[in-house]
Amino acid sequence: MTLPRPLRHLALPLALTVIGTFFALREPAFLGSRNLTQLIVEFSITGTLALGMFLILLTGQIDLSAGSGVGLIGGIAAVLVFQQSWPAPAALLTAFIAALLLWTLMGALIVRQRIPSFIITLGGLLIFKGLFWLVIQNSTIPVARGDQENIYSLLTTYHLPAPTGWLLGLALAAGLGWLTWRKRIARSAYGWPLPSIARALSTWLAITTALFALITVCNHFRGVPFSLLILSATAGSVFFLTQHTPFGRHLYAIGGNEEAAALSGIAVHRVMTGAYLLMGITVALTGFMTTAYSGASTTTVGDLMELDAIAACVIGGTALRGGRGSVGGVIGGALIMTALLNGMTLLAVSPEFKFIARGTVLALAVWLDVKLSARASKH
Amino acid sequence: MPAVLTARALVKHFPGVVALNGVDFELLPGEIHALCGENGAGKSTLIKLLSGIHPHRSYQGELFVDGRVVAFHSIRDAAAAGIAVITQEFALIDELSVAENIFLGRAPRRGLRIDWPELHRRTAALLTDFGLTLAPETPVRALGIGQKQLVEIIRAIDKNSRVLVLDEPTAALTGQEAASLLSHLRRLRARGTACIYISHKLEEVFAIADRITVLRDGQSVAAFRRSEATIPLVIRHMVGRALGEMFPERPALATAPPLSANPPTPPTRQPLLAVRDLTVAPAAGEPPVLHQLSFNLHAGEILGCGGLMGAGRTELLTHLFGAWGHRIHGEVTLSGLPYPQPTPRDSLARGLAFVSEDRRRFGLVLNQSIGFNLSLASLAACTVAPGRIDLHAEYARNQVLFDNLGIRAPGQATPTGGLSGGNQQKVVLGKSLLTHPSIILLDEPTRGIDVGAKQEVYARIHQLTLAGMAVLLVSSDLPELMGLSDRIIMLAAGRIAGEFPRAAFSPDTLLAAAMGHPAAS
Repeated sequence: MTLPRPLRHLALPLALTVIGTFFALREPAFLGSRNLTQLIVEFSITGTLALGMFLILLTGQIDLSAGSGVGLIGGIAAVLVFQQSWPAPAALLTAFIAALLLWTLMGALIVRQRIPSFIITLGGLLIFKGLFWLVIQNSTIPVARGDQENIYSLLTTYHLPAPTGWLLGLALAAGLGWLTWRKRIARSAYGWPLPSIARALSTWLAITTALFALITVCNHFRGVPFSLLILSATAGSVFFLTQHTPFGRHLYAIGGNEEAAALSGIAVHRVMTGAYLLMGITVALTGFMTTAYSGASTTTVGDLMELDAIAACVIGGTALRGGRGSVGGVIGGALIMTALLNGMTLLAVSPEFKFIARGTVLALAVWLDVKLSARASKH
Repeated sequence: MPAVLTARALVKHFPGVVALNGVDFELLPGEIHALCGENGAGKSTLIKLLSGIHPHRSYQGELFVDGRVVAFHSIRDAAAAGIAVITQEFALIDELSVAENIFLGRAPRRGLRIDWPELHRRTAALLTDFGLTLAPETPVRALGIGQKQLVEIIRAIDKNSRVLVLDEPTAALTGQEAASLLSHLRRLRARGTACIYISHKLEEVFAIADRITVLRDGQSVAAFRRSEATIPLVIRHMVGRALGEMFPERPALATAPPLSANPPTPPTRQPLLAVRDLTVAPAAGEPPVLHQLSFNLHAGEILGCGGLMGAGRTELLTHLFGAWGHRIHGEVTLSGLPYPQPTPRDSLARGLAFVSEDRRRFGLVLNQSIGFNLSLASLAACTVAPGRIDLHAEYARNQVLFDNLGIRAPGQATPTGGLSGGNQQKVVLGKSLLTHPSIILLDEPTRGIDVGAKQEVYARIHQLTLAGMAVLLVSSDLPELMGLSDRIIMLAAGRIAGEFPRAAFSPDTLLAAAMGHPAAS
């Protein structure tokens, strides 16, 4: 009956390896540095949105409007840059503020008026889609004028110079080592059980190796994509929020047992509105990146992205009922979803089968998770 | 006359609890037989056995219907044998009409279609028979509670039930509705229907029952004909048990030093919590369920609050904490400061903590660890700039409480969902204590936990008061209430039915007060 615990933790890396091997065997270019760099940009886009969705799902709510919102916010910025000739930073800031307002409004409606988030954000999905098409007049709006470059267009086309990439990698590895070390000292001072030194060291080594491998691959092509930095910053922030702040604890508590959370003095309404506000931020970031990645705002930008984000969370072990999930899982889930799509595109799989394959993987992942967690809770 | 229903030597165990420990019971045709007993005496368990909810083989002992041994494997079996249970939760479908409800699943048909004229004609006849002036098409949603109850009884009777089990049928009825229900029951009795009648209202029991069986601690301790019994006699049998050595010795309040630990004690002891004339309704515009409550709670004191189910004890605690109800009038002051609009958040900030009777629902986030739950209400205390939890300080702080409370688990990281009731209770208690309350409201703190854990919880509550904390303790367990409290107020129907100093504690007086019979002593 008892399933070894590590199997659950290894499920994501295993699945990734299987997917990666499959595509690499069918099409060696899959592991080429050009394709991997492209994959990383796509991963940054999906991952950022998934991290925002993760915060919403933790409270047991949902956001179906994210995909439409991504299109709308990217579209607003594009129109301001291309048609109104605004400087790109001002355009991005304006669109960003619009996202904050819209998501705070939705959060307030859900929380104060007690309208289910499913309904409000379903309404948002349709309304934002309509607004989006109005804003871009059903046309194609480039993110930069002529052949110029601006911050907007550079979001997904800028790559760090190789030395900068290395420096950043070294700094990250050193920082991680220092944090781990400090944590060990503090833990032992407080009498907290510690993992063995060998284990801590090998974990650090594994992460550092992966980091350097990543940088090597990227530098082979054009360097570490800037969008990966956006994802990393988002992931770091969300990790800090969920693991190291009262706000994060409250998200888990509300999703786990809202009544008990309220009776523990948690300002449930404020926390949930906060989650939607943060979702607005990730929607804006994703909107800018994905629009920049397409080169222009067109009517299909953002289509179904909310479902990719939800799928990434769920594959990564986030419970739709709330109260369970981790940043690492979400990142892994996003990587799986991206690798699948990227690999299938590389193999020129027809769109019909792309949809079917993604849906199947999602269903399979959740089924497996349900099975594994049922066994885990039984023993 | 042979009994229609007989139970012999029924024994039913739940994990850690003996709910029934040898119950004998006999119901004659055309008799109304009352079951009396304190909360937890075993009445509900007995009903669940008789109605097949606890199936055959989940208990020991035998059941007979008309002298033949029966084995109920399900509610359907019991219903087929003619036993119908009318509970407080109605088994009616609100959206359907009276006629549809009465004939649910057995409506007269014409071919494949329901024969509506026939259905309504038969329903009308039944309703007239019961003296109800209702149209058969009336949706059940539109009925009052008393009428709903009658509709359920009509349905049971029309399905040829010979035994009606009524569990607190008048709990939610007005005096008039209750009187009308009792007269219907008398008419049914005259037709030969037997009836098991459970009520906390002893006047009602004496007004209608032919015989009375008293349950205590899962045993049938006495059976009387109504003519042989008196209310005080029944109460005495309901409570008659000795207090164990379970409870910590409490210093008599009069001789207790007036908290010499805190030197500047004011000359007149100001209560930590003062409640004046408190009247509370479930929501604005609804009739109140708590009426003009007034009492004080002092530092270092345990004030017990007793009463029967539905007397308003939980409502009182949850209202004081800010989690329930709409205050119509009255005043609550904390250490002399008025507290007009309580919310859980403000209460915790002002040193008022609450431990719910339903710890799994209101107390714990079950999929999270012990440490997570302990910290939940007091994260601010271990948060350093800029809004970061100092995980190590948090761990150390929790660990002190973890050890102190004697939580039995491998460590703080253990999820709370799998802990025993006693350990879960300690976690919930610990969560409250970490908010450093001066007043703690405890609702049934030992419900569903085993004897050993109970004793630990008692000791812990006692210690809290030594540290100057004030405790308002709600308990259905009279020995527990008497063993722990310095003073007891008894609630009955949302009012204070009596206040007793420790010297005046006796089970009979307390229970009599709870039943609204202060004269029974």
